[in-house]
Amino acid sequence: MFSQYFGHYLLNRGLITNEQLQDVLEFQEKVHVKFGVIAVDKGLMTPSQVEEVHEKQKQMDKRFGEIAVELGYLTEEQVEELISHQKQGHLYLAQALIDRGYMSMEEFSSALNEYKKEYSLSTEDFEEIQSGNIETLVENILTKGHEDIREKFGSYISLFAKNMIRFIDRQTFLEISENLQQAKWLASQEILGSPSLFTAIAAEDEALLYIASKYAEENLTEIDELAKDAFCEFLNLHNGIYLVNMSNWGTELSMNPQKLEENVKVSGEFVTITVKTQKGTFHLLLSANPEKVEVQ
Amino acid sequence: MDKKTVLICDDSLLMRKKLREALNPFNFEAFYEAANGVAAVEQAEKYKPSLVFLDIVMPEKDGIEALKEIKAISPETKVVMVSSVGTSSKLKEALKHGAYDFIQKPIQSDTLASIVEKALKEG
Repeated sequence: MFSQYFGHYLLNRGLITNEQLQDVLEFQEKVHVKFGVIAVDKGLMTPSQVEEVHEKQKQMDKRFGEIAVELGYLTEEQVEELISHQKQGHLYLAQALIDRGYMSMEEFSSALNEYKKEYSLSTEDFEEIQSGNIETLVENILTKGHEDIREKFGSYISLFAKNMIRFIDRQTFLEISENLQQAKWLASQEILGSPSLFTAIAAEDEALLYIASKYAEENLTEIDELAKDAFCEFLNLHNGIYLVNMSNWGTELSMNPQKLEENVKVSGEFVTITVKTQKGTFHLLLSANPEKVEVQ
Repeated sequence: MDKKTVLICDDSLLMRKKLREALNPFNFEAFYEAANGVAAVEQAEKYKPSLVFLDIVMPEKDGIEALKEIKAISPETKVVMVSSVGTSSKLKEALKHGAYDFIQKPIQSDTLASIVEKALKEG
């Protein structure tokens, strides 16, 4: 996920164009080697064991290595070794940018150093982010300068980013943005208890169909009942996992059924996070005061 | 073995579809569907299904309430709760009210299969 963030940084600094960014991210997608693949390649796990861990990952908020250790397929030491193979994600990005002549090695290296400085990333933080630690990324990069949002919604946003990667799109990029004022489709769900939350995802037709198709594992091409339902069900599943996490941390919450509304105006007290995927952009809306969110 | 029937209750059309597809190989005599807790109780009373798959977070009447009523109407029916909210408190509550088992969403076909096989074997 780091590549998406560093890539957007390069884009915002005018060091590469949007087309160049899409091009290198596509290249990176092709060469990315998944944790499980490395484990099989090294003869540490069988493909069916990897499959079992992937299935479990869809139900619980744990990393591949943690589950593999719990199931007795890997030792802590083996996990550490495999992580070190994955940490080099930014090298693929560097390779792609340099191979295509978009940047020189020096330019890349200096931009990376500037980036680390701008976000005050320690070597340790940077390594954590490289190895896929979403919490560190959300804390240090995504919510930088938005301490209030980090405090209220940091764990929710981290889990959302992970569920986007698990269920929808590995190339997800999230950023805090201006508040959304209207939505073609708004799936919302209220979480009850302390802290209560208003949660919603807002999308146009294209992004709704993309999320619905990925989540349903079917190619949905029309905004029909199934597509609308799959869009809502992704939010419902994510919130369910959030409730399980909160319960594990000692806070019991419940939630209302999700609902979908069309062509609505949204106002009041909430924050908006723009979620960019390979096929379109949509928005995540969150409020710690559900009664202060108006949907009309 | 007697012919078995199954009721699938979930407010999500996608989940009902996925469950039905996953249950197809088990040759149930009849499938019934409901999209909320009220309809689930009505169908359970009418058809007395062998097995019910019941979501928890639903409009009209939630799954825990529906579970209590279904077990009162049809004690022989085995009710499997299916939810994304697999917290230990929900699990305990469901078992206390007579749930047969609990499946965390998204459903894994091998988990589902082992629960169905166990339920059918016990008759």
